[in-house]
Amino acid sequence: MNEFREVTPGGKPFKKAYVALMLWFVGRAIQAAAKVDGDVKKEFEKLPEGFTFCLGVMPHGPYMIVGKDRKERVKYMGWRREGRSIDLDMKIKNIEAAILMFTFQEGTAVATARDRMVVDGEVPYACAIVRVLDIGEVYLLPKIIARLAVKRYPVWSFGRKYIGRVRIYFRSIVGY
Amino acid sequence: MYLPEYYEFCCRVKVISGHNALEKIPESLAKMHAARPLIITDKGVSEAGLVDIVLDAIRDEVAVGATADDVPQDSSLKVVNRLADVYRDNDCDSIIAVGGGSVMDTAKGVNIVVSENAHDLMKFSGAGALKRALKPLVVIPTTSGTGSEATLVAVVKDHERHLKMAFVSYFLLPDVAILDSRMTLTLPPFITAATAMDAMAHAVEAYTGLAKNPLSDASALAAISLISSNLMGVMENPSDREGRLALANAATLAGAAFSNSMVGVVHTLGHATGSVCGVPHGMCMAILLPYGLEYNMHKNAHFTEELLVPLAGAEVYAATPKHLRAEQVVAHIRKMNQDLHDATAGRHARFLGEVKDGGGRQVVPREKLEDIAEAALDDGSIFYNPEECDYEDFLMILRTAWEGTPLDRGLIKGV
Ligand SMILES: [Fe+2]
Repeated sequence: MNEFREVTPGGKPFKKAYVALMLWFVGRAIQAAAKVDGDVKKEFEKLPEGFTFCLGVMPHGPYMIVGKDRKERVKYMGWRREGRSIDLDMKIKNIEAAILMFTFQEGTAVATARDRMVVDGEVPYACAIVRVLDIGEVYLLPKIIARLAVKRYPVWSFGRKYIGRVRIYFRSIVGY
Repeated sequence: MYLPEYYEFCCRVKVISGHNALEKIPESLAKMHAARPLIITDKGVSEAGLVDIVLDAIRDEVAVGATADDVPQDSSLKVVNRLADVYRDNDCDSIIAVGGGSVMDTAKGVNIVVSENAHDLMKFSGAGALKRALKPLVVIPTTSGTGSEATLVAVVKDHERHLKMAFVSYFLLPDVAILDSRMTLTLPPFITAATAMDAMAHAVEAYTGLAKNPLSDASALAAISLISSNLMGVMENPSDREGRLALANAATLAGAAFSNSMVGVVHTLGHATGSVCGVPHGMCMAILLPYGLEYNMHKNAHFTEELLVPLAGAEVYAATPKHLRAEQVVAHIRKMNQDLHDATAGRHARFLGEVKDGGGRQVVPREKLEDIAEAALDDGSIFYNPEECDYEDFLMILRTAWEGTPLDRGLIKGV
């Protein structure tokens, strides 16, 4: 008689699917923002050629990978990390923590302070990517939600905020 | 008291504090089944006679494998790898570190290499690279500042690649920290001042930062209280044994606090000022601490104001109206800097423009502030700072800290 319920990894398919979708969108949005937003572009220019970073959930994903290709273009490179050399690896410790972050119940800074993430890679890279993610959040989310995600909601010109937002959404969905 | 929804705290370091704490080393080593330690220290410490005091205290019971006294001012990868060979060549089975932050970080690095039976420390950078306990490590701090005796990090510089590598693991927490008043009794006054203000900055930033938790808070409050009630006494009477021991305890408590709750913008700018202009870390901390508190005040005044109790006492706290308490904390720290400035005949600088080297030359030219702000963008300590800080914000703080005028809080973007 087996009185102990077996616990298998890989449960919680709905939460995983939701996070996977969010990661996919964030990845494509970063690719778009690197073309549309001057600050994001500058952050990537300072990173080395071939720079690749991965954001995902421990232990088995989902993941998203963004990097600079040979022509220095910033590209969303899919969700498979196997066989890639990753310069900056940001892993959320578990799916529950990822849900808190991607349902914006917990801002990025607070999540970091609460030790929700394991970051592997050089610190200056992490600083740059966190700035990029913060800018991305301001573009993608309405102010009422983004204010909870970032420490300080920035004051941007109408053009940067609203026209930029439309361009980034459009590019993210179309994927170029 | 603030209780986060979730937090982690770990400080499994056995602390032995007393005027004769060194004599407890043999027993501590024996409990860890170690008998042949490698002593790691630097020239300054050994020339000051501190290693001899340690050796005298343990000689009868412990056979020291070797003593390496050539740790440079900055820890370095090369030295770590070389000392690992010294450890092996002399059949050592444990490490005793006698010194400041650089010595302790070097010892942690050596411990990684010898415990993993490797030859290059670099293989173990990155999160989760260490998977098991290391060799027994006893640390004896000889300054009361860095708190490395209670932290889980080791910062080691790779001078060839111009990189500062941070190794982070609970396995890097030393097994035993010995706080013995004899180790800091001869510390010169202006170094005593700067290192104590480093410990103060650890405690204050841990207490007012995003990763605060009740265990860190308790340590931080105790540290602040010990510093504020003992520092000036030690400045006036450097051979005050009780005061020295109190400061050593404060540094360890503050180390435990910031090892778990991290630091913020004061350290972000302090690291950058140190790397661009070579200003000693403790001096940066003393100068920048009031500015960091002012910069974050609109976010965390409710935490900052609580520090008035350990800083100035319950009577002052009660006599100060609530809305003025946080500002009073800043004023109190500025007053401490002024007192330290007076007590050191001006060697303890109050603002960045005032920092001078041994030859009386200005160490931070105003033109360097842009470079410092740029370097600060690469420092991870800003993640735990309550308020966002971009290049312009860094520069604004640096300019006022250079002049020595209080921060105009109306200019802060988030206010
Ligand atoms: Fe420090």
